[in-house]
Amino acid sequence: MSGIFGIKKWGGAASGSMSPGVTSPSKGKKDAEPEPEITPLVKMLQHAGPIRNDGSDKFYGMENVQYANFYYSYCNSIVQALYYSVPFREHVVKYPPHSPYDTPNGHPPIFTPIRAPIQNGAAVSPPGKPKGISAAEAMKRRAAVNAGQPVPAQAGQKPEDKPDSPEYKKKHAMLAGPILELTYENASSYGMEESTFTALKDIFMALIANSSRTGVLSPQRFLEIFKRDNEMFRTSMHQDAHEFYGLVLNAVISNVEANSHRLKELEPPHDDHNLALSMKAAVTSAATAMGLASGTRSPGTGWVHDIFEGVLTSETKCLTCETASQRDETFLDLSIDLEEHSSVTSCLRKFSAEEMLCERNKFHCDNCGGLQEAEKRMKIKRLPKILALHLKRFKYTEDMTRLQKLFHRVVYPYHLRMFNTTDDAEDPDRLYELYAVVVHIGGNAYHGHYVSVIKTQDRGWLLFDDEMVEPVDKSYVRNFFGDKPGQACAYVLFYQETTVEAMRQEMEAEGPTEVFTATKQQETANGHPQPNGTYPASVSKPVSASPPEENREFVSLDHAVSSPLPMSNHTIPRILPTAASPQVPILDAARVKTKEAKEREKKELKEAEKARKVAEKEKQKAEEQKRKEAMQTRKDLLKSQDAEVKRALAASKHSAAEEEERRKREVGSSTSTSETGKENGHAEKGFARGLSRAHKGSKSMSRKSFGFLGSKYGEAKTHADDSNTAVEGDPGPQTPEKHSKSTKDRFSFSGLGRKKSNLI
Amino acid sequence: MAGTYTLKDDLHLATPPPHPSEAPVVNPNPLATTPQPATAGTKLSLLSLSSRSSPPFLYRVGTNQSTRSNLNSSIQEHPGEGRASGDQFPPSSDGGDTSATGSARATLSIGSAPAFGEGNTFLSATSKDTGKRRKPKNNIAKSNSSFISRCIVHENLAKRLQDRPAEGYFAFANINRAFQWIDLASPQKVTKSQSHIDLIMGFSTGEIIWYEPISQKYTRLNKNGLINATPVSEIRWIPGSENLFLAAHMDGSLVVYDKEKEDFPFSPDEHSSPTNDNSETSNGESDSSTKLQIDKSVHSRNQKTNPVSFWKLSNQRINAFAFSPDNRHIAVVSEDGVLRIIDYLKEELLDIFSSYYGGLLCVCWSPDGKYVLTGGQDDLVSIWSVAEAMIVARCQGHQSWVTAVCFDPWRCDDRNYRFGSVGEDCRLLLWDFSVGMLHKPKTSSVRQRGSISSRLANPLQRAETPNTTASKLRSNSVVSVDGEYEHTIQHDVEPRATTATLPPVMIQILYVGWNLPKNP
Repeated sequence: MSGIFGIKKWGGAASGSMSPGVTSPSKGKKDAEPEPEITPLVKMLQHAGPIRNDGSDKFYGMENVQYANFYYSYCNSIVQALYYSVPFREHVVKYPPHSPYDTPNGHPPIFTPIRAPIQNGAAVSPPGKPKGISAAEAMKRRAAVNAGQPVPAQAGQKPEDKPDSPEYKKKHAMLAGPILELTYENASSYGMEESTFTALKDIFMALIANSSRTGVLSPQRFLEIFKRDNEMFRTSMHQDAHEFYGLVLNAVISNVEANSHRLKELEPPHDDHNLALSMKAAVTSAATAMGLASGTRSPGTGWVHDIFEGVLTSETKCLTCETASQRDETFLDLSIDLEEHSSVTSCLRKFSAEEMLCERNKFHCDNCGGLQEAEKRMKIKRLPKILALHLKRFKYTEDMTRLQKLFHRVVYPYHLRMFNTTDDAEDPDRLYELYAVVVHIGGNAYHGHYVSVIKTQDRGWLLFDDEMVEPVDKSYVRNFFGDKPGQACAYVLFYQETTVEAMRQEMEAEGPTEVFTATKQQETANGHPQPNGTYPASVSKPVSASPPEENREFVSLDHAVSSPLPMSNHTIPRILPTAASPQVPILDAARVKTKEAKEREKKELKEAEKARKVAEKEKQKAEEQKRKEAMQTRKDLLKSQDAEVKRALAASKHSAAEEEERRKREVGSSTSTSETGKENGHAEKGFARGLSRAHKGSKSMSRKSFGFLGSKYGEAKTHADDSNTAVEGDPGPQTPEKHSKSTKDRFSFSGLGRKKSNLI
Repeated sequence: MAGTYTLKDDLHLATPPPHPSEAPVVNPNPLATTPQPATAGTKLSLLSLSSRSSPPFLYRVGTNQSTRSNLNSSIQEHPGEGRASGDQFPPSSDGGDTSATGSARATLSIGSAPAFGEGNTFLSATSKDTGKRRKPKNNIAKSNSSFISRCIVHENLAKRLQDRPAEGYFAFANINRAFQWIDLASPQKVTKSQSHIDLIMGFSTGEIIWYEPISQKYTRLNKNGLINATPVSEIRWIPGSENLFLAAHMDGSLVVYDKEKEDFPFSPDEHSSPTNDNSETSNGESDSSTKLQIDKSVHSRNQKTNPVSFWKLSNQRINAFAFSPDNRHIAVVSEDGVLRIIDYLKEELLDIFSSYYGGLLCVCWSPDGKYVLTGGQDDLVSIWSVAEAMIVARCQGHQSWVTAVCFDPWRCDDRNYRFGSVGEDCRLLLWDFSVGMLHKPKTSSVRQRGSISSRLANPLQRAETPNTTASKLRSNSVVSVDGEYEHTIQHDVEPRATTATLPPVMIQILYVGWNLPKNP
């Protein structure tokens, strides 16, 4: 697969092991190639000390499991964001509080099968623990695999062969392993039926239980379960990460509710046998006795609400009789409309701006007794602990046949307070900090890729791109405002509550750690041999945008690190030559790579461009026209101006013309793509969704308040499901907004439920 | 307070084509994790050459998307040592003739503040020979420095300079790695010409160039980041000084340089203890958040080389600073959302304010020095009263981050103030506020809890004039227990419910981007 290149590399490693230090040090590319195992992440985690048992220092990539060409980056990005939502993770781990298989020491140890590392794309089947294999064995095995491979014709370089490319890094993340194979289900050990919640819990538990800090996790079972429960995610369509997020949260809510209901029913007969369950029953019955939880919510199950749920108040004023009415609704996230050149703050303001209810969208006034025009405002009455903001980047075109992606520049700050709170809101100045950004890369709603950029507890910001995990500096988070080339835009923002004190502390700590890291790296370069599986400790933050000197140092240290790492059995021999050689070959190699890179990247860029053009073709044309006109007038202006000005500008004019030409070409070539895209099952659904779009939707999660719906769980569930499908239609990449009429009923339901649950 | 503003000039700043020898840096991978150099964005500074008071109208272009200039008289390009798009060339003017100095500041400055570092004989010793104005050493057009890749000089620069009227403006703008000098003079008849303009620019490598455009000479300072290797985010001449200027580096330090002094390797760890010179300084390490950490004082005896002084404020990037009209204070804003008022003559930190949230991006003083304006990532312009050490109002109207604020000195008197702001929403907003006219929100009985703590003293308790503030010395003997000082330096965020909000009086959309036109 990787052809000569790969073989040479591995071969070099093998021979190096026999005669360490003999290999010529000035081999340019081959030798300078970054060690797959010493990724920036691994380097950051050196000297990390003992592993914490709360899972806060586990940094796993997630395999983009591929079933028949379906890709699941939307799942990976969201699961990662959820995992690093500390309160959520803690609760998932803690729930259910007691399970039937509990030992006095807590949960029984979890054994997660580990897939053997992949060689050149083909999995080595026996799922033995790679750590059990001795260094020599592993080396032999690898050499054998490589030697056994016929040398394929060098038919162009694969993306994964190019270092620095994401494909390369992902491949090597898989190579480095361990790969946690979550094909099993563990639900019974939690005393629950298998569900999205248990599958998610399986993932979290496996990550926490594993002794390695880094690796790759394959969420196969989770996806199977999720798709079992969510029909529309079974297709090969590109799915929407935000929608997935909503469904997962709602599934977790309903699974947990279902479990507590089941426990309640099972309870009395088993009272004497099972301590755990009886305790639960006692709590439950106590609550019931107090008349609190009768049906709305069982104790111990409301934690998802506690974390993510906020309350919106919609104030509606009938314009006929001037009667103002208020209604509370709960939300798990806010979907906000975007404007060009705006900020999240401003979009949130717009969200709460007054809105007219008229024409087909009239308000039923109880006072007047009929449909009336009315004025409506949405304000936040209770702020959630974790505020998820969904930026509505996908919007229907005028003819409502297609979702287009908005590449508006929408800036988001690291910290946020909400302006749109009600007067009686508790702690209206609550401070939030940004901790996760789910990024959509792609030209429209039907194609693309999701990654997440997440702030971890004490490791700074990390980029999670499927299998790959890489530390990034803080300013990296700002690359996704939406106007940069590359079509990567922030799509879901996760803010969590924080305090001024915490913020100050963190900011004070930010600077010095960078310096500290630099010195630590120096030390690491000197080498501290570590036994397999343990990492040296070091406090570090990603290096911030820095002057070139630092970069160079960074690169060279990359290769000078010589502490052996697990799974890096072949690194030792390879390191010696590089360590012996100074920076020169490294820099050379970098240069060589970039040349190759450029060509490939150009291609990639073109393809990406193409996709975007599909989405924006019409607009683009109008725009182009405008631009041309502008260009023309400016040209004329210039002509009348001094000659020397013209000369200075000639070059840029030329390039602009070139670009235009290229663009035109691409527009032409991509038209056909757009047609097929439309046909792929979207056109017929377009109308239903299009209708709802006309309504200025604000809340987005359909089943968000469903925990409160009705008193009997079973009924609640079916009701919610019904309403979900009936009201929402078929949710596509863009979460459809509500059809105002039909949602009204549901809102009043949830409003009632809200009041009840307020009592708890 | 009405007034008519007319657009005087519409500058389209061109990004000059890259130098042929430089391969354009193209990285289409939107997820590329290679660190990019920090940038201070596109900046434009105007130099007023008129002899009478003309409005110091500052017009800042907040975007990089403009195309051509029909006004270029010359284009120079400065590479930041092979780094892309990080340079920034902030202002500085000290005109050659007295008639040509920036007039606004001169007419409006209050009183006569002592010069920076006055009394330190070591400081003045080197700059004694001021009989003749010095020029930088190197010719920029003939430079073979690796730092400057190209310089395109206007064909008839000398003639053009001679022929231009004495009035009007020079504009200096940086776009990515290029720097442009633009003549904004209207094509009128000749009177007098400029003989000397000192210009300083800071780069993303931390380096600084002192440039004299008339003679096209330049000198490099902080060469190779000898003194501080982090990018320069803001740089300004110290008012009243011919030689000294203040540069803000992105690691949170403020450094005073002398344009004519040699660099000397500086390490903040080796404190040049200023104890004998002035006692109110130093011991900043103990609590760097509430005191000014002075790594080198202006009163230090060692003043043969740069830096003249070196203050470390925080670890966060400094986004902007501004000198007060009385030339005693500087207001510094940084990425952590903090506004610091510093008495730079005494090297003393007076106040620390925090934004509502997010970083602060710009700052300016009212012409009378009573108020400070900041704009930031909370989309707000905040008005701070220096005397009362409190927030006066938050101005709400921008739809994105506020990138520049400025008072209109012609529309300000002792009770009424007019100011303008521009932001990333591509809008210019004008605001009026009058003392005593501001109303706080009705609901004053709002509970303070959570993130807004009220443990520190009521800001109102401390009311003093700028002058008394300046004269207050905090001696070393002050025992600092639990962060409580003689008076509160650190002011907590006022809750929204108790702060007045101000709406804009005018909104002007300055720029309609090439993004998709908005559909109704």
